[in-house]
Amino acid sequence: MATNNLEESEISFITIPFGPQHPASGHFHAKVKVDGENVVDLVAYPGYLHRGFEKLMEYRTHVQNTMLSDRVCILDPFSNEMAYVNVTELAVGIEAPLRGKFIRSIMAELGRILSHVTWIGITSMALGLESGTRISWGDREKIIRIQEILTGGRIYPCYYVPGGVRRDFSQEHIDEIFKLLDYIEKAMKLYDDLVFYNTTFMTRMENVGTLTKEDAIALGATGPNLRACGVAADVRVDEPYDGYPYVNVDVVTMEKGDSYARSLCRRGEIITSISIIRQLLEKMPAGDFKVKWAMTKKVPAGEAYFCCEAARGELCFHMVSDGSDKPYRVKIRGPSFSHALAIFPFLVRGSQLADVPAIYWSLDSCPADMDR
Amino acid sequence: MATDKLEEIKTAVESRFGDSILSFDTKDGRIVLKVSAQASHEVLSLLKDLGFEHLSDVTGTDYIKDGEFEIAYHLWSHAKKIRAIQKIRISRESPVVKSIVDLWPGAQIHEREDHELFGIDFVGNPDLSPLFLEDWKEIPPFRKDFDTREYVKRRYYGD
Repeated sequence: MATNNLEESEISFITIPFGPQHPASGHFHAKVKVDGENVVDLVAYPGYLHRGFEKLMEYRTHVQNTMLSDRVCILDPFSNEMAYVNVTELAVGIEAPLRGKFIRSIMAELGRILSHVTWIGITSMALGLESGTRISWGDREKIIRIQEILTGGRIYPCYYVPGGVRRDFSQEHIDEIFKLLDYIEKAMKLYDDLVFYNTTFMTRMENVGTLTKEDAIALGATGPNLRACGVAADVRVDEPYDGYPYVNVDVVTMEKGDSYARSLCRRGEIITSISIIRQLLEKMPAGDFKVKWAMTKKVPAGEAYFCCEAARGELCFHMVSDGSDKPYRVKIRGPSFSHALAIFPFLVRGSQLADVPAIYWSLDSCPADMDR
Repeated sequence: MATDKLEEIKTAVESRFGDSILSFDTKDGRIVLKVSAQASHEVLSLLKDLGFEHLSDVTGTDYIKDGEFEIAYHLWSHAKKIRAIQKIRISRESPVVKSIVDLWPGAQIHEREDHELFGIDFVGNPDLSPLFLEDWKEIPPFRKDFDTREYVKRRYYGD
């Protein structure tokens, strides 16, 4: 996309493309400069999924923009809707009823499990563990099925609205979610054997791409990638929103900061999410699930800023309103932007060529979220 | 407790920079400060020393009616659990500001994005090459005088 920064005259080095074919990197392109097996430099070329959502949102009303917000990250739509509807509520000055907040948190946690299970599949594929890929993507379908029953959308639910959610949970939905949680809990034992404690996986991941706490903070790491370095930072605990003030969130941290620690962090987070959903379902209050709010209503001039913990890390929306029915400016701070464009090239320099996919997937970058 | 921390930060910043601080707001446990563009780098440096070690984002906004760009630096302190937003305004005609790459290496890509989408020049940033757009020949697209719909009609439908 951009100009090539690698020196063409250095003939002893070979430049190898990483991506943008989907199985290698997921619509993300990088040029890896190697000296034999050693990686000398990596230059990232994002932009394959740049759709300009922030600009498109300036042309649409606040409610229409919910449909755009979940398209920001394909694998984690609920978190993006969560951040968008919350920032809109702050801008408008409304608050969702407690039941609506609980439902939003439940679906966001289900989305986190969905994202992490998908990550198990893609990482297994990158490391040549095909059975892990097949089984986890099969399980992904089970989660998507629940999402489809509840929201009507398989990939893009468009379920949250400013002021609550579109539809209420029925007892049938709640029973289905409990069944799914039991299933995922059992499946975790299988993932432990097939992926997390598999010798191939451990050999490829351990002591590879080690990130120190200081570097992680300086380069803007968030979420599981930061927690794997020993920093207990989680927006759900630090600035609790929606249903999270009412539940106990167990923040998973690791010390080592290598690719394996990042993987184990995600494994732990699936288990935490299961616990959070059970707590929320047990404490779910009765009552309204949304407040009525006119779709074309003008929003008072001002600024609003909201952060939430997405599956990949800190996701923030900054919204400026000028008193019309459309936002004046929306800025999306996605976690993958820093992870793929700052941390990935930093970690890869000096590593082995064979470690590049392991490092890339251990960071769990989503090109859609990176490019917006 | 949290209010004490905010007051402490406010005193530390205002005692050192006085007139350069245009406003300092601590609503909802969050700091929003407006700073003159000349003092921006030094104030950010002080905020970093005060514990705001995580640079979350650098956001550009085009206030075309005022003839200005606003740049918002979003900071977070892992130890204090406080969010701070520092805002500066620069002229739209000559949008130049000192880079903060020396404070946060992670700022490099944020500034590169704002350079591409708004045309803001960050002095001291080692690489401001285009990030997302391929062969872009129009004005920076996130500026308010760039009309996406008009561009699409002209570029793809020949109207």
